Amino acid sequence: MQNVDAVNSDFIEKEPKMNYLTNGFTLKSWLLTKDHKRIAIMYLITVSAFFLIGGLYAATIRLELLTPQSDLLESGTYNKVFTQHGIIMVFLFLIPVIPAILGNFLLPIMIGAKDLALPRINLLSLYIYWIGGALIMYALMQGGVDTGWTFYTPYSTTFSNTYVMATGLGIFINGFSSILTGLNFIVTVHTMRAPGMTWFRLPLFVWANYATSLVMILGTPVVAITVLLLALERIGKVGIFDPAIGGDPILFQHLFWFYSHPAVYIMILPGMGIISELISNFSRKKIFGYEFIAFSSIAIAVFGFLVWGHHMFVSGQSIYAGLVFSFLTMVVAIPSAIKMFNWSATLYKGSISYDTPMLYAIGFMGLFLVGGLTGLFLGSMGLTVHLTDTYFIVAHFHYVMVGGQVLAYLGGLHYWWSKMTGKLYSEFWGKISAMLIFVGFNLTFFPQFILGYQGMPRRYASYAEELQVLNIFSTAGASVLGLGMILPLVYLTHSLIFGKNASSNPWMLPGLEWRVPSPPPTENFESTPIVTWEAYDFSDENGLDLEEARRRHLATIV
Amino acid sequence: MAEQHNNHDEHHEHEEHIGIPGYLVVFGILVVGTIITYFVSLLDLDGMLFPGANTLVALLIAFFKMTVVVLYFMHVRWQSNLIWLSAVAGFFWMAIMFAYTMQDYLTRSTGVFGQ
Amino acid sequence: MVNVNNMATHEHDYHPPGLQHQFEDMKQQEESVALGMWAFLVQEIMFFGGLFTAYLVFRSRYPMAFAAGSNHLDAFLGGLNTLVLIVSSLTMALTVYYAQKGKRMMQVWLIILTMLFGTTFLVVKYFEYSDKYHHGLVPVTGLNKRTKAADPNAPKTEGTYVNTRSEFQWHDEKGDKIILEAREKGYLTPHEEIGYFTNGELDNNKVRDKVRIFFWIYFVMTGLHALHMIVGLGIMMWLLWTAWRGAYSADYYSPVEMSGLYWHFVDIVWIFLFPMLYLLGRHFLAGGH
Repeated sequence: MQNVDAVNSDFIEKEPKMNYLTNGFTLKSWLLTKDHKRIAIMYLITVSAFFLIGGLYAATIRLELLTPQSDLLESGTYNKVFTQHGIIMVFLFLIPVIPAILGNFLLPIMIGAKDLALPRINLLSLYIYWIGGALIMYALMQGGVDTGWTFYTPYSTTFSNTYVMATGLGIFINGFSSILTGLNFIVTVHTMRAPGMTWFRLPLFVWANYATSLVMILGTPVVAITVLLLALERIGKVGIFDPAIGGDPILFQHLFWFYSHPAVYIMILPGMGIISELISNFSRKKIFGYEFIAFSSIAIAVFGFLVWGHHMFVSGQSIYAGLVFSFLTMVVAIPSAIKMFNWSATLYKGSISYDTPMLYAIGFMGLFLVGGLTGLFLGSMGLTVHLTDTYFIVAHFHYVMVGGQVLAYLGGLHYWWSKMTGKLYSEFWGKISAMLIFVGFNLTFFPQFILGYQGMPRRYASYAEELQVLNIFSTAGASVLGLGMILPLVYLTHSLIFGKNASSNPWMLPGLEWRVPSPPPTENFESTPIVTWEAYDFSDENGLDLEEARRRHLATIV
Repeated sequence: MAEQHNNHDEHHEHEEHIGIPGYLVVFGILVVGTIITYFVSLLDLDGMLFPGANTLVALLIAFFKMTVVVLYFMHVRWQSNLIWLSAVAGFFWMAIMFAYTMQDYLTRSTGVFGQ
Repeated sequence: MVNVNNMATHEHDYHPPGLQHQFEDMKQQEESVALGMWAFLVQEIMFFGGLFTAYLVFRSRYPMAFAAGSNHLDAFLGGLNTLVLIVSSLTMALTVYYAQKGKRMMQVWLIILTMLFGTTFLVVKYFEYSDKYHHGLVPVTGLNKRTKAADPNAPKTEGTYVNTRSEFQWHDEKGDKIILEAREKGYLTPHEEIGYFTNGELDNNKVRDKVRIFFWIYFVMTGLHALHMIVGLGIMMWLLWTAWRGAYSADYYSPVEMSGLYWHFVDIVWIFLFPMLYLLGRHFLAGGH
């Protein structure tokens, strides 16, 4: 990136104009802002804090599992630790991370708008997120909750005497934050596109966020009402989830997974959007099969609603329902595969530069492939009986969630860091940490596939002694992974103070976000842009100096 | 946005919608629907026609009333395709939730598929 | 900056009232707000959808208990409330109509009328709830009227059962009759066969648990609906204030229209709740079985 800086220095203005960061320095100018970029930055800070807390829980879990006995934590504490790891990571990190941070920041700029369509709603969703998060943190400090992040009944309604209500209320409130974000994105994409920005000129990141928003609007209210029913059941003890007096615990699972399965697509679709951006831009090639990737996002969002029963194969739902859900699970794998093929085809004969974001993108492709394919193991009704509730499942969804969403998020964060902050980060340390994360991740979670297949159940503090070797591998990997995650925190923060100023387009790319200054002014554009180019258009006409880009590419190779 | 600017002129054309007489007619339909629902529920349609007939009729009337409210009171009849789509999408998704939940409940302990 | 050359220029001379900075013109703003409102209504549909699913599951399991429970709701008051809501929907639609015309006082009066009917609905609802409280039909222990057991041997008459522990009470001969008749005709679902009877005898405790599920769903559904009514009344208060100040004209009335959409949506929910909760077992009573 230093090379880029040298080549590109003409574009850095000597006296930068007012940008969104310098437009007001008071606390009030941040807390009452309607600027989507400032809201995104506030999300960035909060979500990162929650990620850190969730990560500490993960570290505790891995430490406990170093030895077969439950010696570091007793079983009850261990239950609370993995529950809170799950709740914080799913509801406070994975779901908001890309839409609320990168989506919020970039979606309006990418479509040529001054702001999201409903800026006040956007600020409201941030506050709701804070309130929900605070409530969950409160429950956690009061003593936590031990039901698992899925809150399965009747344990959560009848037996658990931990802080289920407060946590549930936090999730209920938090849900409305993601509903409002989704609502805002849908409206913005429909009505705020700049002249000439047709649907098929939208960057694929916008498509992915649009599909995510559909899921958020259609799914999240269901989990809200489910958690509400759970809370009311704890108060009322009417027994609608209690089989002893005529209720049905499986109804809870149906309602819960109606949201929570589509929610795993909330946790991967935006990541896929970022990967589409990265693969195309760092291959300097128009993405292969734009329409297929765009529509596969929508297809995943829609079909994602029809497969929730594959979480319930062994829970007592009918065999017929299991067959249908199993079949549809195979169907939903198709659009994901379409994406993988198109990304690979885009790489073919591309002019690939291995910058930090691209390292993350390539890592994503490998890890998501493993995560996705093991999902098919679990989606097939026969095999799942052997694998349900083992570490195989834990490894599978970590490959998709961490290997997918977190890697994509980190890739996107590095990719747009110069745009968001106006500073260049250290490319050297960026690459080091990307590789540490990849290696550490595989070392952590690949052994868990084997552990699960050998029958190590999830959610237990102790395990059979012959499984210890693989668990030690896993814990060792976790420490590498942890180091890889801490590094960005250090060098990205460092870049804020000591980093070089970024030009408006340090990567030499054609997207609309690279045509505004870094960091962008409050209104994004001086006047509404008119879009005359296709997405990922690496031709000469879009005003980019591709000669320089090639030189830079050669410089990276040397 | 590009395509939306074209029809800028027709914006203020549809404001009248159906006017006061139209609203009163819709109101009348809703009142009559409510009264019919009540009295039909007193008849034993389950016995006269088939089990579940009472529920079916009540729901059909409710569905009809809803359609009238959505089309006229909520002005969807004059709205863009997008609004139509979102109005239908909500009910479609709820139907998905019903259908895929009930496909479990209705096929339990039926003796088919080994259970 | 790269590519400044193809930026459009446009004037900022005239700024219509109510136009927010992020929009180019009123039309864009109205479309955005309308789509946003509809997207919100979609999420509301799904929000209630979860409850409707629960209703569907339990009603398909215990239809007779639901019918018996439903007969203890006041269908007259429920129907009255339906009409009240329909009238309020009419006044709301007319409010939008006069807002489009820019007639200030008509809007104000119609909003007041709408609020009045909305409040009437809630008052009727209060009487229904309090009736359930007095008859021990609230499914949550502790929320029913406590009655001292003066004379444990005194005959029990309908509606005045001894209820020292404030529990859900269920003693209903008509309901039992419905269930037994359905059993004779072979209408009972497999869950009902197990769920109502012990050793072939009707077990009142078992039936009570199933009826309690009905009342639970009744209270949650109507309670959430009432909550939406209260929120709606809050919106109406704000609308009344702004309309009174003359904020709306033929050029700018979308807040009125959007509040109207919300109000009509709440009406639609009730249109479904009324037959689903109140009218389940009416024909068993009216048919003189």
